[in-house]
Amino acid sequence: MAFTATSDVTNGIGKITLAGELDAAAAPTFRTEVEKVAAEQPRRLVLMMQDLEYMASAGLRVLIYARQRMAQNVDIFVVGAQEPIRETLEKTGFHHSVTQLETYDPAVIENT
Amino acid sequence: MEPLTVPGMLPALEEIGRYVMAAAAEAGLDKRASYRLRLAVDEIATNIVVYGYQPSGTEGDIIVSSTIDDHVLKIALEDTGPEFDPRQHAMPDEDELTRPLEDRQMGGLGVYLAFEGVDDFHYERVDGRNRNIFVVNRPSAAPAT
Repeated sequence: MAFTATSDVTNGIGKITLAGELDAAAAPTFRTEVEKVAAEQPRRLVLMMQDLEYMASAGLRVLIYARQRMAQNVDIFVVGAQEPIRETLEKTGFHHSVTQLETYDPAVIENT
Repeated sequence: MEPLTVPGMLPALEEIGRYVMAAAAEAGLDKRASYRLRLAVDEIATNIVVYGYQPSGTEGDIIVSSTIDDHVLKIALEDTGPEFDPRQHAMPDEDELTRPLEDRQMGGLGVYLAFEGVDDFHYERVDGRNRNIFVVNRPSAAPAT
């Protein structure tokens, strides 16, 4: 399935919604959205992954880029990642640097 | 399955992925094993394009083939790019994998995921071609094809 990434920044919450298959060919599209969101200097970055079916290491590298591009106090949330993607995040130790949530929880994301 | 030949460019990754998932289904692999195999093949195919064909400025194909016997599914990737043995590639160690993302290096994650995703991996250079072979054990209950 083709990859799509859309983003918006509202009240300091930068949200990127990822869907489809994120391989090395698709990663630049994700990176472009990270750049757009970073330019608005959000206080949170939220990656909506419910409809993301596949993620290769090219996607992980964009996550590293996002972390390094955003200010240090910007927390990164991963919402609704499917099981195999969670496994990739854990195997590579990325789960130490992001907060994983089952669903978008405003109380956690917007108020912390 | 008949071998698949695709151009050694990133847009071909999707078709390679479909081929691997079809072979995994034929071999009776479960969802998790299929995903991990697809990821492994995708990472090495990406390296063939990004570290092989692209920097050398050469064009070439990637040939994907599969064989299934009673015990294993084997997927092979062949390319005519410069010699590249993924086993020689630097991989992240335990320290790197527990480091916060702000201190991470970009490299090595793909090869790490590739090796982690399969039961066995071989590389050989034959007649000017790189051949990467991924081996996954079939579930014992799967019927022979």
